[in-house]
Amino acid sequence: MCWVCDAYGDPEFGDGKWYLNPKNHSRQMYKIKKPGQQDAAYGSDPEAQSGRTIREIMNLRFEDPVKFQQLIKEANDMREKGPFQIGQVIPIQEAFKAVEMSYPVTSMSCICRIHSRAREERNDHEYSCTGLGVGMFKWERWPERYKGGVNFMTPDEAKEWLTKWNKKGMVHILMTFGGSYVGGICNCDYPDCGMIRNRVDYGITTGCLKSHSVAQMDYDLCNGCGICVQRCQFGAIKFEVTMEKTNIDQMKCFGCGLCETACPRKAIELIDRTTLPGLKEVW
Amino acid sequence: MTAPNYATIKIDATKCTTPFDCKLCLQGCPQSVFQVRAIKVERGRETNPKEPGVYLLVAPFRDKCTGCNLCIELCPVDALTISFPATKTA
Repeated sequence: MCWVCDAYGDPEFGDGKWYLNPKNHSRQMYKIKKPGQQDAAYGSDPEAQSGRTIREIMNLRFEDPVKFQQLIKEANDMREKGPFQIGQVIPIQEAFKAVEMSYPVTSMSCICRIHSRAREERNDHEYSCTGLGVGMFKWERWPERYKGGVNFMTPDEAKEWLTKWNKKGMVHILMTFGGSYVGGICNCDYPDCGMIRNRVDYGITTGCLKSHSVAQMDYDLCNGCGICVQRCQFGAIKFEVTMEKTNIDQMKCFGCGLCETACPRKAIELIDRTTLPGLKEVW
Repeated sequence: MTAPNYATIKIDATKCTTPFDCKLCLQGCPQSVFQVRAIKVERGRETNPKEPGVYLLVAPFRDKCTGCNLCIELCPVDALTISFPATKTA
């Protein structure tokens, strides 16, 4: 179990995984700003806090590279001080379970790609992000404020939708919005997704934790077709020339399962990270 | 420790007025160096992307810039300049 599960999981539900704890999907967890209420003060809202901290860190890297590294370490340790915005990579099988627990489930526009690629997503054919929970009604109620619109889906439609993006090669990242409230499943890739970029390029871990699984290759079944190599967003898979097979670096593996869903010979399987002593603390 | 060899990307906001509508550099950059931000927000609502001066183009990931100059070729209004620090010998 990862440290998020230790903090927010419940052993009675979903083997203690935090995102399968019904409490974290409960609408009571969602903060609604009442009319006339002031914006939360600095630090009181974990989402705003993490956003600001990360922005401060990113601005520093040009001016003070030494302090930049120091602050990254502080941000990664911040989880011990209290709630922080968390993102965790999950394989599609786990995403299905999260979708079944949440209501409502919607597709919506991706906030990262609006900023990084100016990609406007205005209808359900273009949407690439999954929104979970009661917060999605805001998009329906105030379309001029919450732009891009929203498309409500049944759990089965949501699974089909996630499968569509999985086939295209997107990593599913479960996001929290305010403490441990599960607010969405992003479909991400490098470099236009902010969370993966912060983790892979700059080592800020809280926004993109590794999943509970890790990919393992069965060399007897692998014929070296190399399909999985193109699918990996994290550079964990390479083609080993003398073996004529692909090789997974499990230290780099985020356990997203993209290679597993693509392998035509079912040579890759996802195993529990905690069963490997060397990876137990690698999140 | 020497200062990193980061690119300096100057964006002339008087020439680049509608980056969200144009988006050529945003979608053309191989390193995804650029970002576009809404600077004019009225009552929490972003205004029309075709209106000049509503969005601002920034280059927050300029440490990833390789200097391929693709964005300069793509830019229809010549708003971009990229410069690298003078080469140092080791």
